[in-house]
Amino acid sequence: MSALHEPQFACHVEDLTVSYRERPVLWDIDLDIPPGVMAAIVGPNGAGKSTLIKAVLGLVTPVAGHVRVFGLPVDQARRRIAYVPQRQSVDWDFPATVRDVVLMGLYGQIGWLRRPGRDALSRATRALEQVGMQDYAGRPISQLSGGQQQRAFIARALVQEADLLFLDEPMAGVDAVTEAAIVTLLKTQRDAGRTVVVVHHDLQTVSKYFDWLVMLNQRIIAQGPVKDVYTEANLRAAYGGQLALIGALETTSPDGENA
Amino acid sequence: MLNPTLITVIMAASLIGALAGVLGTFLVLRGQSLLGDVISHAALPGVVGGFLVSGGRGFAAILGGALISGALAGLVVQVLRRGAGVKPDAALGTVLSLFFAGGVVLLSVAQLQPGAAGLTVFLFGQAASVLRADLLPMAIVALFVLSCVALFWKEFQLIAFDREAAQAQGLPVVLLETVLTVLTAITIVLGLALAGVVLMVAMLIAPAVAARQWVRGLGAMVFLSAVIGIAAGAGGAFLSALGQGVATGPVMVLMASFLTALSLLLAPDRGVLARWVRQQNARKSLHGRQVLEALDGLSRDHQDPAYGSDQAMLDAYLGADARPVLARLQRDGLIRAQAPVAPEGKATRWELTDAGSQTLHAQEGQR
Repeated sequence: MSALHEPQFACHVEDLTVSYRERPVLWDIDLDIPPGVMAAIVGPNGAGKSTLIKAVLGLVTPVAGHVRVFGLPVDQARRRIAYVPQRQSVDWDFPATVRDVVLMGLYGQIGWLRRPGRDALSRATRALEQVGMQDYAGRPISQLSGGQQQRAFIARALVQEADLLFLDEPMAGVDAVTEAAIVTLLKTQRDAGRTVVVVHHDLQTVSKYFDWLVMLNQRIIAQGPVKDVYTEANLRAAYGGQLALIGALETTSPDGENA
Repeated sequence: MLNPTLITVIMAASLIGALAGVLGTFLVLRGQSLLGDVISHAALPGVVGGFLVSGGRGFAAILGGALISGALAGLVVQVLRRGAGVKPDAALGTVLSLFFAGGVVLLSVAQLQPGAAGLTVFLFGQAASVLRADLLPMAIVALFVLSCVALFWKEFQLIAFDREAAQAQGLPVVLLETVLTVLTAITIVLGLALAGVVLMVAMLIAPAVAARQWVRGLGAMVFLSAVIGIAAGAGGAFLSALGQGVATGPVMVLMASFLTALSLLLAPDRGVLARWVRQQNARKSLHGRQVLEALDGLSRDHQDPAYGSDQAMLDAYLGADARPVLARLQRDGLIRAQAPVAPEGKATRWELTDAGSQTLHAQEGQR
């Protein structure tokens, strides 16, 4: 067993660089997320938000740098991590029921040559209750709406009872009611002591939903508690001229008060 | 009529059909049908090579040769994609043609050797070429492949649905994908003598596509796909054995395609027919509701519950000839015709009945 490295952080990333072909997508990322926060990763299109999560999870191989989760290399901490990919990343016409999909969250834990048993089923039912989908357990996933697909995916992550949750754009393309439900759900997870990391696209809701913020544009622009990071200067640095709306956002002014 | 040869053929074809149905399900769900086609075409140089090296049409030599050239083709595809940046479909298409061309050239060379006449059956398949002695090794290999699928069932299910989630959970995804591809290749190679390199892939794809129409879960899909594979395989082998000299592959594929066409057309819920009926019903009910809403809106605009709406106005408002719908609504007692109010008004005027207004508001309440 290797010695723990930076175990005080839920997620610790150092010198991480990812490049596709010759083009760097993420450059020299140093990132620390303390346990028990609900963190947003924001940045313009192409900033590498999804790639950052994938690199942390080992789905994308970085050219340099290392990642620790609760002080451990990711491969030794898989049981403590759950991941909700973008909804569009799978074919929803796959022959499976909602219950099947939630059970898939446990496949890594169940172990080789074994089938999900009664315990797994009751955990899946509980996860579905948490997202309010218990009545849809037997429904084919091809018949779900976008918001229901998202909730089924979140249930698949919740069933793992992981300490660190990564979600890639969970609020994209869902209606306002579902978005509110998802936020409440994630805050409950945070209040239970878990760490939630969300790739988020809506700057208007950042300070309402999250308490920790990472601003990214290939490099880390800023990271820390939302009230310290969500400033006009940082937004300009991350989004540059792309964001005509910066003036209209309720950012934190330099003296620390909400403008 | 059921002579021993025919029984052998039917048993072999059923075995291949079942196996192809099972592995084909995963192939189709992973969106890799074209890869199956490449493996089967690329097997030809291996089949001929195996013959040339071993000097006979032995089961093991043919199987080994086909697997080696199939693996080589897979490797070339990877090199083209990763190394040279060729798009996946272009890489697959190129490699398919390349290996098949090589196989055909090798085949013409091999024809000069004694005992090579039977090799051409591998192009389109020939049921009669399956010997009774081949049945047992075939069954053993099939049992091995099916056991692997059963043992790694949940892992295969997860990588077929969501590869990244499998990776994030720590499953060895690349290894599992390789195993699944090798199992698929074994299945293809096993079926070559019956279905032929050109058409074998249809035996993988068609039953899976047909099965998808009827089921909700992966287990059911795999099972039904195997059943359809057996029906197509056994039926095709039987029919081709009746007609002397008819290649088996095409008949099996025609059977499979026929079952697939039936499924696409007739399956409840997902079938073309069911969808068409649903659309027709939706259109009718929508039209009916639109007309009721239009009548209701016009009477409200005029603040007259008994206001009669001119039929031409309704036509113009709905942008279509409302007559069939109006006739239907009248038959159902939801609207009634009024007497013309002015002598120049030729068109009928319509108003909602109490039943019509109730129907309309009941539907609104549901939404």
